[in-house]
Amino acid sequence: MGDLAAEKHAKYILLVEKRKDDVESVLMEHLRINGAYWGLTTLDILGKLEAVEQERVVSWVMSCQHESGGFGGSEGHDPHVLYTLSAIQILALFDKIDVLDIDKVSSYIASLQNEDGSFSGDIWGEIDTRFSYVAICSLALLHRLDRINVEKAVKYIISCKNLDGGFGCTPGAESHAGQIFCCIGALAITGSLHYVDKDLLGWWLCERQVKSGGLNGRPEKLPDVCYSWWVLSSLIMIDRVHWIDKEKLVKFILDCQDTENGGISDRPDDAVDVFHTYFGVAGLSLLEYPGLKAIDPAYALPVDVVNRIFLR
Amino acid sequence: MSEADPFGYTEPSSLLYRLEFLLESDPLIDEVGFIHPSQFAALSDMSGSPSLSSMSMELQLADESKLKASPVNPTDMDFWSRDHKLGISTQAIHPLYNAAKHAFSSSFKQYKLLINLHAKRVGLDGDNVSNASSLATLECEVMKHSRALLLLSCDFGTAWNCRKEVVSKKQNIMLYLDELVVSTLVLSYSPKSERAWSHRRWVVKMIAGKCTNLQEILKNESELAQRIAEKSKMNYRAWNHRCWLVSYMPESQVIDELIKYRDWAGLHVADNSCFHYRTRLLTRTLADSFYKQDLKASHVHTAEVCQLWKEELSWSKILIKRYIGREALWLYRRFIAMCWIKHFAARMGGTHVESFVDNELQLFRSCTTVPDNVFEDYQSQAMFAATYIMWLIKQMDERQGVETREKVGEELEKVLNEVCPEKAFLWDLMTKKNGDLI
Ligand SMILES: [Zn+2]
Repeated sequence: MGDLAAEKHAKYILLVEKRKDDVESVLMEHLRINGAYWGLTTLDILGKLEAVEQERVVSWVMSCQHESGGFGGSEGHDPHVLYTLSAIQILALFDKIDVLDIDKVSSYIASLQNEDGSFSGDIWGEIDTRFSYVAICSLALLHRLDRINVEKAVKYIISCKNLDGGFGCTPGAESHAGQIFCCIGALAITGSLHYVDKDLLGWWLCERQVKSGGLNGRPEKLPDVCYSWWVLSSLIMIDRVHWIDKEKLVKFILDCQDTENGGISDRPDDAVDVFHTYFGVAGLSLLEYPGLKAIDPAYALPVDVVNRIFLR
Repeated sequence: MSEADPFGYTEPSSLLYRLEFLLESDPLIDEVGFIHPSQFAALSDMSGSPSLSSMSMELQLADESKLKASPVNPTDMDFWSRDHKLGISTQAIHPLYNAAKHAFSSSFKQYKLLINLHAKRVGLDGDNVSNASSLATLECEVMKHSRALLLLSCDFGTAWNCRKEVVSKKQNIMLYLDELVVSTLVLSYSPKSERAWSHRRWVVKMIAGKCTNLQEILKNESELAQRIAEKSKMNYRAWNHRCWLVSYMPESQVIDELIKYRDWAGLHVADNSCFHYRTRLLTRTLADSFYKQDLKASHVHTAEVCQLWKEELSWSKILIKRYIGREALWLYRRFIAMCWIKHFAARMGGTHVESFVDNELQLFRSCTTVPDNVFEDYQSQAMFAATYIMWLIKQMDERQGVETREKVGEELEKVLNEVCPEKAFLWDLMTKKNGDLI
């Protein structure tokens, strides 16, 4: 196991940004703004955000805004809450939330809350606890949580809790580490973690650690670097992170690095991508790996960025 | 790839035309895949109908019997089509995508313009007839180009959305059902496409209450999810869709599904999602039987549901003993055992809970003997058996928990010490429990 190849990962991220006309990148243009958030947050955690032309990024982000107030994944794409959160997070990284028409963006998000407290992802009505998290996180970052019925939103999330202590995307859906992160994150932001059986959920989350030290997202699945983030951040929020073997997990993540060209993959020896590079670096940050900025487990932004928003 | 033609208007637009023509001329195409150029020659020689999904890995030679159509054109290096399967060259993807995206965006823009114009002119005479015919043409274009685009980029949300917009203006059940076909086609090359699955739910929501054969549609949906789960293991999106369908199912269908797919589950014991689906179905039987006590038939019905749960418990035990060390099986047992205690044994009174727990302790003991030549699977089996009992103790009501804890004594610690002494959370939970209870 080597150390974290921080310089190389930063270089890799910057290179991916430059190759946006490659076919792989073109086929993913509908979620480019998510990719930008993953890449930029990684750079910030690595202390390399200055390498980016801030003005250009901010004006590109604003070009993705739709007349409804929501953001699309790229310019000209339909708006969705998933992309709206990424837009807000990117602006937060650059301390530029004030370029937004905050009332307009919050109206868009608030308009997607349903009678039962759940959130639709866009006007077409698909419901998912991920959208609850995204809506709550976005509005909290904009200081506009009062625009929605928080009590009902929390009640809906609780209704997605399973007997195994985990959460799924809708009531009765299978527990999944990604959905658990969303539900616990939303409950943490709204101060509602007392609804969670922390021992039971912590138990399920710890059972995700497999022999190699990596974490999987569901029973019987292979370990994957992205779950380092989802499982770990959830364990931290419910105060049970001391229950897993952190050392082995650090080793697993470091084993997934491409030490030559930079980037992190889902498992050792697989191809790297920006998504897993972000989750790997963010996971290491949660594990207090030296030389990395601390990241907030609920807002998925560097702690100094979150403090700038809430302690101002 | 045409590097010199970044917007791809010239040659690629003819690529797009050909793709759309192929789709149009064979509406029964039910599978799409991408083929590396080097595979084209082999495909042209080949007789039989290979599965496109396996094509990229190996070229399968099937029997010659059903050979009907021939390749689009023997020298065609962009598309391949036979027996309602369509192959697209990986080299054509980029120019095709550019052309499809451009064609989609411009036709949708024009469509929107015309719709807005229509809205403004309601009630006025004028050239409504010519407007209507150009609207129909544009709708057709939008549907054609968005489909082509989605066959290249499965989660292009804007293209799915525009289809929803066009179809919902028509309010014609058949058009809604056509959307299921397009989604199936996309899922044939991208079984995890979130947008393709969500499009199906949108269709079901739109037609529920408006069509007479919803139950049949739900059945087809369930079968499709199963077919896809067969090829794409542990596919969360497919199983999630299936779980979502349950709330629309009448009770008879819930029970049918449980019985009909038991054998399949028995053959896929590592598929946690498949067992979760059973969890979802079984939970529905509880809601329908015990909590609706005003039902006249509830007595008979309760007995039937009770029997179903009993069968599930003994089936689960058989699987656990047959397939050593399978996490999904043990997690499933946690669920059925806990529900059995709470909803059946406890209500029956007497010593039902006690004797059930005794049986489970017996199961635990029978699964904790690790043979001398230490097989990994047996170690896992012992660990799962021990954590199963721990889990039950923690979830039972306090009195039952204390009693069970006393019965099991030091056995749990002994097993855990042997097979997983490093699992900090288990020890913490164990001592916590002791501390709470003593
Ligand atoms: Zn992953």
